[in-house]
Amino acid sequence: MSDIGKVRLRIPSSIKPGDVVKVRSLIIHPMERIERDAQGKIIDKKYNYITKVTVTYLGKAVVSFDTTQSVSENPFFAFTFKATDPGPLRITFHDTTGATYEGTADIKFS
Amino acid sequence: MAKDHLQSCGAGGVTRRSVLGTLGVLGVAAAPGTLAAPGLAAAQALGAQETVDAGLKRVFGGRAMKDGSGLIKLEIPLIAENGSVVPVSVEVSSPMTPTNYVKHIYIVADKNRIPIVTRASLAPEAGQAYVGANIRLGETGDVRAVAEQSDGTLLQVKREVKVTVGGCGG
Repeated sequence: MSDIGKVRLRIPSSIKPGDVVKVRSLIIHPMERIERDAQGKIIDKKYNYITKVTVTYLGKAVVSFDTTQSVSENPFFAFTFKATDPGPLRITFHDTTGATYEGTADIKFS
Repeated sequence: MAKDHLQSCGAGGVTRRSVLGTLGVLGVAAAPGTLAAPGLAAAQALGAQETVDAGLKRVFGGRAMKDGSGLIKLEIPLIAENGSVVPVSVEVSSPMTPTNYVKHIYIVADKNRIPIVTRASLAPEAGQAYVGANIRLGETGDVRAVAEQSDGTLLQVKREVKVTVGGCGG
């Protein structure tokens, strides 16, 4: 439980200016599924799952995901962005409890 | 004297507990009410318990979909042994210029209780129309990828995935 919100961002080790870079990200999150009782009725409670993921590069939105409970536990997302300048790549996850989790990677050219 | 003290402690403990209990219930009841409003509303906008036809109609408003099999590459295993983690990736061959780009990529699992799995919104800065995600599949059925281009054209591909163990629970 205590691991909830751990974000991992993976970028290639060498990036050249102008490259289209594939990024992989992972967050530890339960993404609770809808539960049903013995009669098959949905148990009415507040399910904790991620509804929104946003990615910004140099402060500008690049990709965002709107997600539902059909996304796996500990969700993984992959996306691309075009590296133009060195700067931060930031990913933010929002879940239904109102919590946000953040991960950043510094884009540097080698 | 000592007995009195004990009794008052007991009595005090009970009242304090009951007061705390009431407060706790109130707190729990109040917190989701205030926090849930925006989160749930946003979630409802995309994911709902519905059939896939109802979901597609709600999201796309019955707009015609073209076959995108030449343009969209949907990568997903043919047989998913574990339905709770199924890796999917979608790549659309399209230029990503500010005037012509892929705006949204939807992943839809026909047989899931919540068929609309995710909607990715892309900006031209993404450089390439590519997204990947791990999704849940409840049972064997079609998985679709729908790409919406900036001019509103919808392209769709679908592929059947066999699921050995469902991943959506109850």
